Amino acid sequence: MQRRNFLTRTGAGLAGLTALAGCTEDGTTADNAENGDTTGSNTDAATDADTTTEAGTNTATEGTTTGTVADLSTLTVATYTSFTGEDTAGNWLKSAFEAEHSDVTVEFETPENGVNRYIQRKSQGASVDADLFVGLNTGELVRVDEQLDDALFATTSDQVAGSDTVKSSLQFDPDGRAIPYDTGYISLVYDEDEVAEPATFDSLLEPAYEDALITQNAQQSDPGRAFLLWTIHNKGTDGYLDYWSDLVDNGTQILSDWSTAYNAYSNEEAPMVVSYSTDQVYYHGEGVDMSRHQVGFLNDQGYANPEGMAQFADADNPDLAREFLSFMLRPESQAEIAVRNVQFPAVSGVEPGGDFGEYALEPPEPVTFSYDELAGNVGGWIDAWARQIASS
Amino acid sequence: MVRRVDRYVVPAGVVATLATLLAVFYLPVGSVLVSAIHADARLTIDPLLAVLGDPFYIELFGFTAYQALLSTVASVLLGLPGAYLLARFEFPGRRFLRSVTILPFVMPSIMVAVGFLAMFGRSGVLNDVLGVVGLGPIELTFTLEIVVLAHAFYNAPLVTRLVTAAWESVDGRRVETARTLGASPLRAFRDVIVPQLLPALGTAAVLTFVFTFMSFPIVLALGGLQLATVEVWLFTRVQNLALAEAATLGAIETALSLGLIYLYLRFEAMQLQSGGESRGLARERLVDGWRSLADPRRLALLGYGVVALVLFVGPLASLVVESVTTPEGRFTAEYYAFLLSQQTGAVTGTIQPSQAVTNSLLFGVGALALALPMGLVVSLVATRDRRGSRLAEALLTAPLAVSGIVLGLGMLQTLVFGTEVLGHRLTVTGPVAIVAAHAVAGYPFVTRNVTPALGAIDDRLVDAARSLGASRARTLVDIEVPLIGAALVAGAAFAFAISIGEFDSTVLLAEGVDSATMPVALERYTGNRSLGPNLGPATAMGTVLLAVTTVSFVVIDRVGGRWEQ
Repeated sequence: MQRRNFLTRTGAGLAGLTALAGCTEDGTTADNAENGDTTGSNTDAATDADTTTEAGTNTATEGTTTGTVADLSTLTVATYTSFTGEDTAGNWLKSAFEAEHSDVTVEFETPENGVNRYIQRKSQGASVDADLFVGLNTGELVRVDEQLDDALFATTSDQVAGSDTVKSSLQFDPDGRAIPYDTGYISLVYDEDEVAEPATFDSLLEPAYEDALITQNAQQSDPGRAFLLWTIHNKGTDGYLDYWSDLVDNGTQILSDWSTAYNAYSNEEAPMVVSYSTDQVYYHGEGVDMSRHQVGFLNDQGYANPEGMAQFADADNPDLAREFLSFMLRPESQAEIAVRNVQFPAVSGVEPGGDFGEYALEPPEPVTFSYDELAGNVGGWIDAWARQIASS
Repeated sequence: MVRRVDRYVVPAGVVATLATLLAVFYLPVGSVLVSAIHADARLTIDPLLAVLGDPFYIELFGFTAYQALLSTVASVLLGLPGAYLLARFEFPGRRFLRSVTILPFVMPSIMVAVGFLAMFGRSGVLNDVLGVVGLGPIELTFTLEIVVLAHAFYNAPLVTRLVTAAWESVDGRRVETARTLGASPLRAFRDVIVPQLLPALGTAAVLTFVFTFMSFPIVLALGGLQLATVEVWLFTRVQNLALAEAATLGAIETALSLGLIYLYLRFEAMQLQSGGESRGLARERLVDGWRSLADPRRLALLGYGVVALVLFVGPLASLVVESVTTPEGRFTAEYYAFLLSQQTGAVTGTIQPSQAVTNSLLFGVGALALALPMGLVVSLVATRDRRGSRLAEALLTAPLAVSGIVLGLGMLQTLVFGTEVLGHRLTVTGPVAIVAAHAVAGYPFVTRNVTPALGAIDDRLVDAARSLGASRARTLVDIEVPLIGAALVAGAAFAFAISIGEFDSTVLLAEGVDSATMPVALERYTGNRSLGPNLGPATAMGTVLLAVTTVSFVVIDRVGGRWEQ
């Protein structure tokens, strides 16, 4: 804890110097500097940087910094960018957690390539430098285990208060490392002025839905992969490729990711898009044309994509990390996360209020693949699918 | 003393250039590509055989080359008339227009996708206009055509810029001589001007082919997975951490691109003609009385102007319009209000737009300052007629031929995670690393502009200066640099543009929000849901990017113009 703390504080000070020296031990500075930058204590960071640069050597300053800042401890949370920032779940959690723990600073680390960053760090022997990861889905956990022999995440579920309150239908890690904290449901969003409600997977093959659907590349997009898995859930591993061949023949388009696909939908390139069942949370009220924001649950289903959180096995602050995990499972946190992250709570019995409570739609029958079903299979399923599409 | 400095000035430049390249390019790229031929501690060709023996991949490479070829043809066809217009005609706003031809280069692909859909989409501006005159609608989205058009949007300006620069430095006296000797204007054009334009046109075409061969985000933003290129596959392999397969695809791509560049450089070396100091051709006035409007050349240029307006101005203008339009089509200022709120926001991790603008400009100027000497040094090496100098130049042009995804992965593995040296893990990140990475990405453009110009300098001028006692450095500064002024300025503009538009390495090497640039801010705002799931905030930032870049390029051309003849 002590070491973590001093490195982080020093890291902030070294932000400027790293660039010039490009040389620090353990490779920790780069990421810690990033933390330092995001603490909000910009004045401190700036002052430190000046001192450091003047001092000229990093080792000398490390000593000094350790001595001066010793009482605060830092919890480093790795997550995705949209979880952090103004009005987000991450920012609310940070404030609320810090309010309860006056000696703790919560810092976020948001690497561009998500959990891959930590898999790669681990496999290259670089230190992980974060205490917990927020925003892990089933497929990613499968990838973690396929790539690494050593444990990236620790088994914590029996040590995290409240983990037994999580809906069992959302639990996706048989080893109790990843604990779900919210879930989205993949569904279709459609324009009811253009097409009738798409009721079943088979109906998407009808002429009425020709050139009507935009989805995302399952190789690179979460909702795209969830939609593909949903079709496999319905058509089986021996039938999904034929189904997709028909789907593509009927003019389904596969774009890179959610932003591009939804933007194309907004530009009326097609009357249906694969998206989330929370669409209307963003679009309601006076003057909003709700006809373009109808949610379609094919076969009365929605594909659940639970988001999990886990403590890194190498965490410097494992106790604090588990405390944060359990903090995220408290009913009041769950309601806030749901509203701010626009995802459904993972803990049963939590009823988020406001617009979310009113406009977020839950599918009659949530479906999803478990970890065991995906492990060893999901890569091959997606690969075969992508090759077929690209060859057509 | 002076003589010793003199003897070492060019070699020292070469060494400094190589050291920079080694640190932020060869080492990172090498760390990735090595796994294409190295597994379980021994050399192997299995990954290569696996890819080359897979009919799917062969077809993928074939399609990728096919769309790159189409894109190159389209870019040349749409870029050449622009060069003709800018080099041969005088009209109000000509310099401004020449300055802003580089704008497409800096546009993030997500913004180009937004602009293209708003312009060419099913309910886009073009179809609205066609509808008014009773034509259309045309369905372009999700087709190969729109991908090729988007590639031309990015690369036709490259053709225009390079060829314009060459055309402006055509030796006017040779044309006059040819005409005096009885050659028709057409004959003079074919025999005198065309040979002097070919190196620039060839460079532009080869670069366009290489860039569109490695095209990535735009393909799946406008076309769809059915039109996937090799680079799309490479990206998804990296995402799934199938790194050996990714490395193999990257290695084949690089080998093909480098091979093409090498062949081209050999061709170019045969074409280069040395000349004297050129006087340039006089420009005609574009509009010279009413009668001039009936001139077939001017009519054709008018037609070209309409096409250029639709293809180049259309998407950019649409982007600006999108930044003040709600998804329902009403006017809004809330996306700009969002930028202001980010500016004043105190929450951790917020990127302030003004900071992003400042960083972009600082990194751009830094990259330019580094790329110019690097590019010049490589050009000096390339124009020495020694054995292997073509090969050396090809290898030194490698930053153009390596996929950004491979470079990004390599930087992550070597620079960000650190490399073990004597028991210590060395990491290289932060502003200086970003500037170095940008300079490495930009200097080949300097080289590609400067080498032909340098090759065209009469060797006797340099020899004369040297025999009169001028040092090598003095000759360089007093004789060579002034003669290649225009090419240096053109190269500088490219280096700056590359830096402004760069995303992949910046986001890896930036240490948190303090080093974020405009494209990084834009990407961050893309994921921001505070105004609902739309790209509004990103389009507002895109418009800021467009405005800042426009001003920058006008300034670069104006300042640089002093060194032009």
